[in-house]
Amino acid sequence: MVWATMKISFLLHNAYGIGGTITTTFNLAHALAERHEVEIVSVLRHREHPNLTLGPRVSLRPLVDLREEREHPLHLRPARVFPSAEYRYRQYSELTDRRIAECLAATDADVVIGTRPGLNVHLALQTPRHVVRIGQEHLTLDNHPPRLRHTLRRAYRGLHVLTTVTEADATAYRRKMRLPGVRVKALPNSVPDPVLPAADGTAKVVVAAGRLVPVKRYDLLIEAFALVAAEHPDWQLRIYGKGEQHDRLRQLVTDLGLWNNVFLMGAATPMEAEWVKGSIAVTASNFEPFGMTIVEAMRCGLPVVSTDCPHGPGEIIEDGVDGRLVPVGDRDALGAALLELVRDDEGRRRTGRAALENARRFAPGPVLEQAERLIEEALAARSGGYSVVRERPPVLGSLASRGFAVRDAAFTAAGTARRALRRGQR
Amino acid sequence: MTAGQGAEPRVDSVVDADGGTTFELPPGPDEEQRLLLRLRPKKGQPEKVRHVLDLLPADEGRRRAVLSPDLFLAEGRWDVYLLRAPDSGRQRLRPGLRDLRALVEGHLRDRPSPLAVRIPYVTKDGYLTIRTWLRAAHAEVEAVDVTDRAATVTARLHGAGLLPGAAVRLRLRGHRETVHTVSLRAGDDGRAFSFALDYEELATRAGVWDAFVQPSPDAPPIRIARLLDDVANRKEVFVYPPATVGDAVLRPYYTVDNDLSVEVAQDG
Repeated sequence: MVWATMKISFLLHNAYGIGGTITTTFNLAHALAERHEVEIVSVLRHREHPNLTLGPRVSLRPLVDLREEREHPLHLRPARVFPSAEYRYRQYSELTDRRIAECLAATDADVVIGTRPGLNVHLALQTPRHVVRIGQEHLTLDNHPPRLRHTLRRAYRGLHVLTTVTEADATAYRRKMRLPGVRVKALPNSVPDPVLPAADGTAKVVVAAGRLVPVKRYDLLIEAFALVAAEHPDWQLRIYGKGEQHDRLRQLVTDLGLWNNVFLMGAATPMEAEWVKGSIAVTASNFEPFGMTIVEAMRCGLPVVSTDCPHGPGEIIEDGVDGRLVPVGDRDALGAALLELVRDDEGRRRTGRAALENARRFAPGPVLEQAERLIEEALAARSGGYSVVRERPPVLGSLASRGFAVRDAAFTAAGTARRALRRGQR
Repeated sequence: MTAGQGAEPRVDSVVDADGGTTFELPPGPDEEQRLLLRLRPKKGQPEKVRHVLDLLPADEGRRRAVLSPDLFLAEGRWDVYLLRAPDSGRQRLRPGLRDLRALVEGHLRDRPSPLAVRIPYVTKDGYLTIRTWLRAAHAEVEAVDVTDRAATVTARLHGAGLLPGAAVRLRLRGHRETVHTVSLRAGDDGRAFSFALDYEELATRAGVWDAFVQPSPDAPPIRIARLLDDVANRKEVFVYPPATVGDAVLRPYYTVDNDLSVEVAQDG
């Protein structure tokens, strides 16, 4: 299929940091730039170059340079457009409000794509009428605090398309939010084709990667690995990443006497050369909106043992075929699943080969096709003068969504009252 | 990408099990370019040791340089530069992918003498450097078991064999003559050995004890270290727990050179 060339503009929190949203936005922007004019607008900038390499055809434009504007008078005043219930609210200001508004008002893009809730709100409110507005959710509705859901329920009606990274989350939006005229669609994150040959499944190394934060449950993983090390002391677990939990995890390794088997490796970017040193990848998270590292590891030929947490892992891994899914928070089940793959050399290699094959659906090609089709259909709907394909919720769904709305509003009101009370007490 | 980034090509590297190293650069200008490795001099010292590699054409216009395993690089840190056209100076290179998987289980093979190890790594400021070791013989730590009273080290000798009278020597850093001898238990193959460090004995003298094995009473001591995998900077990654004996805190640790030492600190 040949599409007309479009101008596509991504609005990103900070293109100069590290994280799944940045990676996947760079990947998609790079792939779209094959045929389209693509730019990334980074609201914040705090260093000279991005951590990740951006394709040469994608232009990058920062709006607020923190190296010079951290003390800007407007940056010291709280944001009013960017919603206060958003996770990153404290990093936004009247300055970001203003710069984002100017940027959107002046855009010559056919399509603007927001990459987090607060930016999607900007998009919905401030983009000129003729421009197609696509909001991307890399987190999940169920995990948003009620006050944020309340804000988004109203604001997201101003979008044309809302994408989630899993079907489960798309279903949640359709069921719990009434967004008439907004097309809600799952668009998975993509992972580029690996450059290095795939892992061959021989190294006695299990690899995990991600920020060292409580939700990733590295404590559970280390305890589970104790079961592996007891039976196979020649196997090691390597945990890549840094974060607040580092010292606590080091203490746990010491307490369990695992210092010859479990290693906190520090951060590694990119991870590709580290994945291929392993034979099994593992994640013990309580919650994974998508599960980027799972796909990365599979694309390097590693079977992944993961908790079956909401929402991503169950849509990526086929249990027993290309990896293992175990109940959330279950140390023994996690340890047993790892041991199964450690003990069975042939089974491990077979599962790894299946992972390599099955993860191809997350290659940039297939994901790009979905994204392009989505954008093209939204554009066609706009230029045709009629609204974007409506996905009318069934009556029952509509009633249900009203119920959720009432509940979030109640939470929100209660929160406001609580805050007022706290203020009164000060 | 911005122009600044484009001006800094990234170099991929692959290391074979025997240490042979291949560097690959993206396509570049027509002019003849070469790779320069230079041994990082001590602070304030002039740069003395350099090694230049030709860049040869590879697939898709890429350029490749090979560092043969037979070439013994002096021990230290070798920074990697691109040498552009004559007289146009040199450019420090940033790493691309470093495929070091062949090194991960490198301790499983017995090595000849001299023992040469190369591990490409990323410096704190984001450049590519090759960490090298070159030793006549080497004792590789395989595991360290730590209790409140002792640390038991399991190791394997490469490039030498244990003979009767072999012993472990701990040398107090800064006091070469102060040596503490520890008996070892040798395996049947004359390479595997283990020894226990009694914390009670070591606690009497504060300082850093560097660990060596002397394979026979007349042989030169061999440093005990951990060099045979892909971890260039081990100090913060392989961490052993401390133990308290009286008012001393003892801890086996890896130095910035990945050598094994024991620190004895007076508490408070």
